[in-house]
Amino acid sequence: MADSKYFSTTKKGEIHELKEELASLDRPKKKEAVKKVIAAMTVGKDVSMLFPHVVNCMQTEDLELKKLVYLYLINYAKTQPDLAIMAVNTFVKDSQEPNPLIRALAVRTMGCIRVDKITEYLCDPLQRCLKDDDPYVRKTAAVCVAKLFDINPELVEDRGFLDMLRDMLSDANPMVVANALAALQEIQEISGKEVLQITSHMLFKLLAALNECTEWGQVFILDALVSYQVQDSKDAEKIVERVLPRLQHVNSAVVLSAAKVVLRMMEEVVLRMMEEVRSEELVKAWSKKMGPPLVTLLSAEPEVQYVALRNISLIVQRWPSILANEVKVFFCKYNDPIYVKMEKLEIMIALASERNIDQVLLEFKEYAQEVDVDFVRKAVRAIGRCAVSLEKAAQRCISVLLELIQTKVNYVVQEAVIVIKDIFRRYPNQYESIIGQLCDNLESLDEPEAKASMVWIIGEYADRIDNADELLETFLETFPEETAMVQLQLLTATVKLFLKKPTDSVQRMIQLVLSAATNETDNPDLRDRAYVYWRLLSTDPEAAKDVVLANKPVITDDSSQLEPALLKALMEQISSLASVYHKPADTFVSRQRLAVQTVDTLAAARSFAEEDVAAAAAAPQATGNGAPAAAAAAVSSAPVVDLLGEDLLGDSTPAAAPAAPAATPGGLDDLLGGLDVAPAAAAAPPAAAPAAAAADPFDLLGGMAAAAPAAAAAAPSLPQLLGGEKGKGLTVYGQLQRVGGRVVYQLHVNNGSATSVDGLMLQVNNNSFGLAPADQNVAVGTLAPGARGSAAVPMAYNPAKLAQGPANMKLQVAMRSNQLGVFYWDDNIPLAPLLEEGGTIDGQAFLAAWRGLPQEAMQKLDVTIADVEAAKARLGAVNLFVLAHRPVPGTGQDALYVTGRVFGSTQVLLELRLMRGTPGVDVSFKSERQELAAAVFAVVRSSLT
Amino acid sequence: MISQFFILSPRGDVIIRRDYLGNVPKTSTETFFRTSKFYKAGDEAPPIFLVDGVSYLSVKDGGVHLVATTRDNVSPSFVLEFLKRISIIIKDYCGSISEEAIRKNFPLIYELLDELLDYGLPQNTSTEALKTFVLNEPTVVAPPASLKPLFGLSKGPTGVFKSVLDTNRTDGKRRDEIYVDVVERLAVTFNAAGHAISSQIDGSIQVKSYLAGNPPLKIKLNDDLLITRRDGSGYAGGGGYGGGSGFSAGDYAADSSLVILDDVNFHEVADLSAFDTERCISLVPPDGEFALANYRTSHALRLPFRLSIATEADPASDHKALVRLRLWCDVPADKAASGLEVELPLPGHVARVHCEVDAPGSAALAGWEFSDKTHLLRWRFKKVSGGMDLSMRARLTLTKPFGASLRTEVGPVNLKFTIPMFSASRISLKYLQIMRKDRNYNPQRWVRYVTSSNSYTFRT
Repeated sequence: MADSKYFSTTKKGEIHELKEELASLDRPKKKEAVKKVIAAMTVGKDVSMLFPHVVNCMQTEDLELKKLVYLYLINYAKTQPDLAIMAVNTFVKDSQEPNPLIRALAVRTMGCIRVDKITEYLCDPLQRCLKDDDPYVRKTAAVCVAKLFDINPELVEDRGFLDMLRDMLSDANPMVVANALAALQEIQEISGKEVLQITSHMLFKLLAALNECTEWGQVFILDALVSYQVQDSKDAEKIVERVLPRLQHVNSAVVLSAAKVVLRMMEEVVLRMMEEVRSEELVKAWSKKMGPPLVTLLSAEPEVQYVALRNISLIVQRWPSILANEVKVFFCKYNDPIYVKMEKLEIMIALASERNIDQVLLEFKEYAQEVDVDFVRKAVRAIGRCAVSLEKAAQRCISVLLELIQTKVNYVVQEAVIVIKDIFRRYPNQYESIIGQLCDNLESLDEPEAKASMVWIIGEYADRIDNADELLETFLETFPEETAMVQLQLLTATVKLFLKKPTDSVQRMIQLVLSAATNETDNPDLRDRAYVYWRLLSTDPEAAKDVVLANKPVITDDSSQLEPALLKALMEQISSLASVYHKPADTFVSRQRLAVQTVDTLAAARSFAEEDVAAAAAAPQATGNGAPAAAAAAVSSAPVVDLLGEDLLGDSTPAAAPAAPAATPGGLDDLLGGLDVAPAAAAAPPAAAPAAAAADPFDLLGGMAAAAPAAAAAAPSLPQLLGGEKGKGLTVYGQLQRVGGRVVYQLHVNNGSATSVDGLMLQVNNNSFGLAPADQNVAVGTLAPGARGSAAVPMAYNPAKLAQGPANMKLQVAMRSNQLGVFYWDDNIPLAPLLEEGGTIDGQAFLAAWRGLPQEAMQKLDVTIADVEAAKARLGAVNLFVLAHRPVPGTGQDALYVTGRVFGSTQVLLELRLMRGTPGVDVSFKSERQELAAAVFAVVRSSLT
Repeated sequence: MISQFFILSPRGDVIIRRDYLGNVPKTSTETFFRTSKFYKAGDEAPPIFLVDGVSYLSVKDGGVHLVATTRDNVSPSFVLEFLKRISIIIKDYCGSISEEAIRKNFPLIYELLDELLDYGLPQNTSTEALKTFVLNEPTVVAPPASLKPLFGLSKGPTGVFKSVLDTNRTDGKRRDEIYVDVVERLAVTFNAAGHAISSQIDGSIQVKSYLAGNPPLKIKLNDDLLITRRDGSGYAGGGGYGGGSGFSAGDYAADSSLVILDDVNFHEVADLSAFDTERCISLVPPDGEFALANYRTSHALRLPFRLSIATEADPASDHKALVRLRLWCDVPADKAASGLEVELPLPGHVARVHCEVDAPGSAALAGWEFSDKTHLLRWRFKKVSGGMDLSMRARLTLTKPFGASLRTEVGPVNLKFTIPMFSASRISLKYLQIMRKDRNYNPQRWVRYVTSSNSYTFRT
């Protein structure tokens, strides 16, 4: 019997025919008809109109027919909830059948019908089946608890199903244990609550079940083990001892999950290295065991290899010793798919060392002559990156690059030029002898990056290239048509040439370039740089030399290196999609299934903390480094550094970004000041200023209120957050406010849709302040069509919600409703409500903190204060407390020392200097979170105005 | 966990679809097909990609795509291994996997999926255990000729593709059979001087059992088998720490009588209690196909082919060149390689090619072809026996004068082949015993070897 005939196209009247066949008393005919329906469903045809007819076939002794009907039911029950109720009786009856297959089938199918009304009837059968004698029924029931939780979490808690699941972790049947564990993990994921805490007692049971389980169950258990808090190295040792044999498994998922556990334990052991001598031994021994199984993964199908390679590229960054001697296994095979080859190349670079570089270079050279252009380019880059990171091998790398240039293959030559530029940056004045060979290949350069690199080389070594002026001149012929990257390099290179060889012809060239770059371009970067050069050259050529020909910071190859915080986060997510994308999970896992109802906020905080543990761990670090990093960023984006002509071409960045340039720009500032250079360069506005304006909550609110439609007048003066098409009829007004010493999200909801709306709940995305709803319910009850309601959602501090990166005032909010689905909007966080009452400290602490904190931010506020006492009171009203007020000797100024605590216990310290009755207040700001400066200035300004 | 599972035909039609969590839109099938078909710059799409917050994980087998979607941060190898497992189960039950096989058996496949995956969580996936739950009769479909399983090795001397459900038959047509296949894939790279600079075998021992009642088996491998990691470390003792370090395979490599494996892993059914002493594996084979062991080695391989290549100018014309290839087949004379293909990339300025071949009569040349687009010159041979010596000459017509650089631009030469009844690692099954004492019980036992090229490359 061939079933493919069911896929034949729908004819007219087929539905009618099917209806008749479904009603047939002849069982085979009936079955045929149901099969046809399923086939139609599979290819995406709508056969929902047959619902009652198919459900009528449900009550049958024929298990095969029953299964087919259930399959249909699962698919369409949601669209026909009222009719689905018809099926309930049969389910309940089936769940008491003597045949365990039928009992399990009933429970499994019922759970898949995601209709609220059915769930009530599900509870009794489920309770029975969780205690069934047959393990097949029990394991099916365990999964059903997770299904039920997704639809109706209260019901699961009220009926004590969670406790029953936990008990099932001790079941004699490993399948049941694995499913109970998987269900608990799933519930933990859905609810954001910690429902599964691995105690040392449970650990023992799980380890025992590990050997009995199916391969899939082993993965569940291994993944659960990772969250176990080990007490000491002994503990870790015990776990690893049981997990190591799993590295031998044929299933690559088991191998990677086992590797994840071992890697986690290695971290634990390293943490304790100071106290326990044995730790080092352990790490060494375990590293040794991990290598071969990881290599074995490369023998699998390309798909599996790909996952393994993405994970290995993380592992070798954290633990280089594991695969240090295995570079050969990562050599590309002729017929590897391109996605595998690219990953292998990355790992080869990471593992290249002075010991194996000859072998590796030989490979790279082969790859550089293959057919796939992207792969060839990457291979050439790889040679350059090895040269930059391995000093002793640089000479050999360069010889290979020169050989490749000899092939005259266009894209190979271009790529080689780009990396040779990097090599020159890394090893100044060592390898210029090859410049001649590069210059022979000028005509093949047609890509901007390659051109820009070549121009940089010519400029940098203008004094050693006899015909540098001629070479540059050829490039200059097409100056107006070049991309900005090439233009900037041409400008700088010509200036360098002029400073090194000030001949008449070069003088003419430079005039030409400067006038082209100032008069005939729309690119502000180019124009500004040209102006700076122009003034510098005309005022003081010697100073120009100091600036333009200054020594450059040495670069390193960090293009494959992940930031330590990110690497740490990803290492905890080995063998997950995060490790394949090299992005932390919270950047791509959406929380759509998240969170239906959370009563216990603390529990929520804890479990989120677990998921986002990486993010949270990274955050303080990021903020700690924030200030210098931000400073460096600001410096490099200002035109000042561009004077050096060091646009960062290619993959390389200055290694000593915070340190090295810090010295030069300092000098530059003086220089520019002394020269009284026009504001073009110096007027790079403090980056904070525009941000401050944007963050000013009052400005923003004003703007929004004005823009709000007339209907909004009905709402109590809150800005509109959601409306129009996006709101599907719902209009939401709201704002974060401070009420009774708490931050609340004041919301006002208008139901303009045609249905009653209830079950409104709120969740927010990670944000710069760790704001999270303390109770997700938006207590407006049921809103009939046309009704409106107001609610204040209390917000609590949740460290897991802290976003990484520089502070911003954005808040991404999601609100779900039972009827209309989920809505999203972006809101701005006003700082004022986040300032806490009683957020004061004593004078001593203030002084100590002031001294301990790095460089402050400063701003001159355009306000006039006549009455200092009144000003103090106004600051106090926004929870900024004046600790001391004293006159500044000899200036006639008053100094106020002010402090406040921002939500999430960040203390902010302020010094205000003002002259009574004279416009202008100088505010200095210091805090652990320096990036809050702009927002705090805005609050101070608005409170004083 | 897994939100949806679906199977797409080569043209992108949905032939099987199940939705488990309802959090991924129905259009995901089209999104997947479009994204993988038009991946950036025509590159082959990786097996995992992310579109709009949905991760798509897929494997391709028998021309169809098996795809899982998810919004969670799942273990990717877990999902991919599971998809592979589904494809094996379909083969076990339907004889093969292809669009036709799936369409003809879709109620059966839905039935299987019911048991395989519940709420996106993999359940019991052993072919054996699933038999209890399956009511539909399979329609066995042989794979289309274009998709030869096991590198051209047919399913067995009986030539029958059958379903594991066959062992349930009571109509007297049941055949008790077991196949044990040693499958080795060779990855070898030779440098321009003709020395193998890297060589590796990825091997596996595949068992496919159609034995009713699942009697226990005993398999013995070579006595001279040495597994560097297993025997060199404390593994056998139950995972001690770094014991037995300092062992180096090199110490043994000189003794060529040993078969040395770098690493082996075994299926969970393998009872290894007698492995360390006698190289015996006991097992109760579950129904269907599974890998009893996977191994890899880079030691003392028997390399089946050697090749030399020379590129010369043509004295008669500076726009012509001559490439000579000589290929030796180094397998024993009673073995033969089938489907040999010699692939030679040529530089872009080769306009035309003309080939001549000298080969012993039995190594019938199936033909040669040169593609202007890919610049690949390819010779195909039907059968090349051990000890044969083939010469190929290609006259190239160039669009620019001959230069010395042509020598490096020709190549590398890549070989594709399959050699039945040959194992490059010399691993062998000394015996395969079926442990059932019954005079009348005499099932067919098939032990087969096959070595094929994974990547067999001569650099120039």
